[in-house]
Amino acid sequence: MNSTIRFVGGIALLVVLVVFMSATFVVQQTEQALVFRFGSVARPPIENPGIYFKVPFIENVVTIDKRILDLELPQQEVIAADQKRLVVDAFTRYRITDPLRFYQSVNSVAGANLRLTSIVNSAVRTILADASLSAVVRTDRSGLMQRIRDDVNRQAQGLGIKVVDVRLRRADLPEQNSQAVFQRMQTERQREAADIRAQGSQFSQTIKAKADRDVVVLRAEATRTSEQVRGEGDAQKNSILADSYGRDPDFFGFYRSMQAYESSFKSSDTRMLLSPDSEFLRYFRDPFATKQTIEVVE
Amino acid sequence: MNWSNQSGGGGPWGPRKPNPWGSGPTGGGNGQGPDMEDVVRRSQDWLRGLLSGGPFGGRGLSIVGLGVVVLWLGSGLYTVRPDEVGLNLIFGRYVGSTQPGLNYNLPYPIGSVIRPSVTTVNTTEVGFRGGDGARRIAVRDVPEESLMLTGDENIVDIDFAVQWQVDPARAADFVFNIQEPETSIKAVAESAMREVIGRRNIQAILTTERGPVEADVKQLMQDVLNSYGAGVSIRLVQLQKVDPPAQVIDAFRDVQAARQDQDRARNEAETYASKVVPEARGEAARIQQEAEAYRERVVAEATGQASRFNQIYVEYKKSPEIIRERMFLETMERVLAGTDKMIIDQNGMGQGVVPYLPLNELQKKPQAGAVK
Repeated sequence: MNSTIRFVGGIALLVVLVVFMSATFVVQQTEQALVFRFGSVARPPIENPGIYFKVPFIENVVTIDKRILDLELPQQEVIAADQKRLVVDAFTRYRITDPLRFYQSVNSVAGANLRLTSIVNSAVRTILADASLSAVVRTDRSGLMQRIRDDVNRQAQGLGIKVVDVRLRRADLPEQNSQAVFQRMQTERQREAADIRAQGSQFSQTIKAKADRDVVVLRAEATRTSEQVRGEGDAQKNSILADSYGRDPDFFGFYRSMQAYESSFKSSDTRMLLSPDSEFLRYFRDPFATKQTIEVVE
Repeated sequence: MNWSNQSGGGGPWGPRKPNPWGSGPTGGGNGQGPDMEDVVRRSQDWLRGLLSGGPFGGRGLSIVGLGVVVLWLGSGLYTVRPDEVGLNLIFGRYVGSTQPGLNYNLPYPIGSVIRPSVTTVNTTEVGFRGGDGARRIAVRDVPEESLMLTGDENIVDIDFAVQWQVDPARAADFVFNIQEPETSIKAVAESAMREVIGRRNIQAILTTERGPVEADVKQLMQDVLNSYGAGVSIRLVQLQKVDPPAQVIDAFRDVQAARQDQDRARNEAETYASKVVPEARGEAARIQQEAEAYRERVVAEATGQASRFNQIYVEYKKSPEIIRERMFLETMERVLAGTDKMIIDQNGMGQGVVPYLPLNELQKKPQAGAVK
């Protein structure tokens, strides 16, 4: 008797438990939930996490991610406004803001990714086609990314999602253009190297030429002062001698001639033909000659 | 990240759990309880009664139930390690965070705890893989990540690493807001680096702008991740390698070599200049000194000559005839002493002698004289 009661009680407890379990559901912090009754929406989407009740076996629950989801896009080649080709690789971050619309339009994250990929790709192509390569790479990258994001948001309105960010990860030149860039970089560097070497040669020549000029100028100036000094010396000499000799030009003539004879005719390379009439030999002819007579003879 | 329910930690008979016997009827008195034998015997009796469904059966069942409930509640205790933050959830809803130490949350299936590590510094590598310096693992380059366009449409090869950690104050954001934090961080890192590099010219990137590039990328990454509510804090962006692409690196190195060449050429020229100019100065000084010497010499000589002349002149004034005669004769004496002489008297010997000048003889004589 006692045991029968206990058995029935146990069964009842189990049933209550199962019913309770199927009447509750938990929405995680990272989720939001939709409750359907026979396929139609039973109540507004549940956005706050926690424990909720439902009618067991009649209502069913679909949970949908509430986090920021990531979508990596495959590389695609776009043509910028200046006809330059770019290989662009973008990624998108979005979150599901309207779970009901999301569920109805794309059903799952995989479906959303599929739709978003084509939307983002076309937005990237459209927006970048209006921008020059230098805008994409240098001047307006973040502005373009914002425009792409806004464009995607507008197109994806019906999907119940909000695109938080579209970012260009890579925006590079295609392989063959890269080769051209490499070649250009190479030739630029070669030119730079040649420039630098030529400049070195220029410096070298300039410095050497300046040094050579300095040498010439130094020498010339030294020569100039040297000549001045020599001239001064000669002038002093002349004035000294003139002072001295000027006292008797006649005697000076005689005196200086004597010196000149002596220094000119001294050596043995001189042969003299003398006339006995010469003054020096006047006594050859006449031992009593006087200077007077000779002077007369002359 | 560690989704762990509270059933963990030693099972229902875990060491920290309250002793179910403690609340039993035999629950030992205060302080010195009854001796051990007595306790054991009475426990066995009590257990036997319980199992046989004796008169005390209903009461025993409720005691067991109470024990289970106490155990279950006790399983809500958990430890947060010093490098973690505990995030309490009740029925999936985030209700608050806890600090390192012993903490409590309602046990499974009502509550759960996530304990992400927040002090661990994670490294995301872009442009290369591996490269653990300590273990000498070879660095593998990933060119499609590392080659990027600069603002002046050149291509530069950049490897860098990002060090990040979960922001302890925003650990809940990290856990609940982002689907795949690691991939997001890497994608944002690549995007930010390319954006920052795209604003600069290659020469600046290769030389002076490394610090600013790191700072800008860090700032940009932090801003973007904050806009995602990622709960991540970027500690460091570190440029590992900033080079021209491998295809053109030789040309870049040649530019360096050219700079060296330029310096060398300049140094050589300066060496030359600093050699010849002082030499020329020396020479100039010599020329000037020579000139000075010349001047002093000629002045001295002139002074000497003048003084000699003056002295002779003083004498000459006294008796000009005699001095003049004497000087003439003395001079002629000295002059004629050293020369060949021939005296021809044209008047005395009539026209007989033709003054014939034997040129050959004349030429020989001085030579013979010179030899002698």
